Order: sequence, then C-alpha cells, then structure tokens
Amino acid sequence: MISPRILVRTYLSPLIGTTAWFLQRVTGLLLLFYLLLHVETVHQLSAGPAAFDRAMAAFKNPLFRLLEIGLLGVVILHALNGIRIMVIDFGVATRHQKRLFWGLAVIAGTLIFIAGAVPLFLHSVMGR
Amino acid sequence: MSRNALAWYMQRITGALLVPLLIAHFWVEHFMNATLMRGDLSYEVILTRIANPWWQAIDISFLLIALYHGLNGLYSIVLDFGKIGPRGANITATILVIIGVAWAFWGVMAFHNL
Repeated sequence: MISPRILVRTYLSPLIGTTAWFLQRVTGLLLLFYLLLHVETVHQLSAGPAAFDRAMAAFKNPLFRLLEIGLLGVVILHALNGIRIMVIDFGVATRHQKRLFWGLAVIAGTLIFIAGAVPLFLHSVMGR
Repeated sequence: MSRNALAWYMQRITGALLVPLLIAHFWVEHFMNATLMRGDLSYEVILTRIANPWWQAIDISFLLIALYHGLNGLYSIVLDFGKIGPRGANITATILVIIGVAWAFWGVMAFHNL
C-alpha cells in the first residue's frame, strides 16, 4: 500500500512549480492587457471633468464591479507569486519553495483577497 | 552583464517596487473611504490628490515601472518560446520599446490639462 504522502510527492508536487510558473505568465498577460485599458480610461482626465466622469460611469454596472474584484484577485496572485519567485531566486528557502507557494500565494493570498473583496462587494455590488 | 541578465534583474527590482506602489494605489483609489469603496471615483477626487506634485511623481513613476515590468515580462514570454534568434530578439525588443514609449506618453498626457 503506497501512502498518500508519497503519491502526492510523486505526482502532484512536480506540477506545482510548473503551475505557478504558468499562472504567473497568464496573470501577467492579463494585467498588461488591463493596463492598456486602464491608461485609456485615465487618459480621459485630459478631456475634462464631463468626459472623465462619463468614462467612469461606463463601469458602474455590477458586472464591472465583479470584474474589478476579480482584478484584485489576479493582482494578489501575481504579486505574491512574484515575491515567492524573488525569495527563491535570491537563494532563500530553496528547499521550501513548494510550501512557500502554498503558504504565500494560496493561504496569504486568499486572506488578503477576502479582506479586500468583502468591503468592495458590500459597497460597490450590494450598496447600490 | 548581458542584456537578458539585466532584464532578469530589472524584472525583480521593478516587481519589488510595484508591490508598495500598488498597495498605495489601491488604498487611495478604492479603499480610503466609503465613496471610493462604492467605486465612485470622480474627476474632483483625483484633481485634489493630483494637485500635490509628489502624487504626480508617484503616479507617473508607477506607470513607467508597471509598463517596463509588463513589457519586459512579455519580452521574456516571447523568448521562452525559443523560436526566435538574436536578430528576432532585437526586433522584438525594439518594437516593445516603441510600444512602451507611446503607451507611457498616452498615460502621462492624462495630466496635461489638469
């Protein structure tokens, strides 16, 4: 009987590093695409108050509010996984990188995401 | 240091800089008070903040660092596919720099009428 611990180590653990690497690239591309749209919206400041507030009004519907909360999640994932990559690259805790992924990107990420998403959801999605 | 090694270092340095900048950005635009948490960020609110030249400097630095980090990340994704040689890498880098300069200009111009 093979212990579950060995099964996880053999089949699941090697996937975690690759998954983290892949997620970092996908979230990075998403954020770069978002930055393009974001700069376009912010550029409307130069067209005066009416134009800017009109541009912002387009994001007032609940769908965009939910997407905004999703954006927060993507940012947190990318940032924490990025910190994990730096910690590994600078040679700290090389032996613990998988635990770091779970610890930082998943557990801390979920906690920070909840701390940010709950007030946003209550105010911007439910509050209107 | 080769260009790729420099790009590797810069990705880590800019990434580390982006973390506090991003937290500050989210705080002042989305979390500081109930109006912002509702998502009602108005021209007036931004104008008041931007009147402080330090905030202008922070916002512009934030944009430039984020753009560098994003496009440099895109550059390393392109290189990771391993399909292009040194010449292709040069062409890609040149295109990304041009895109970055135009993008930065468009962003900074947001402030020119305030």
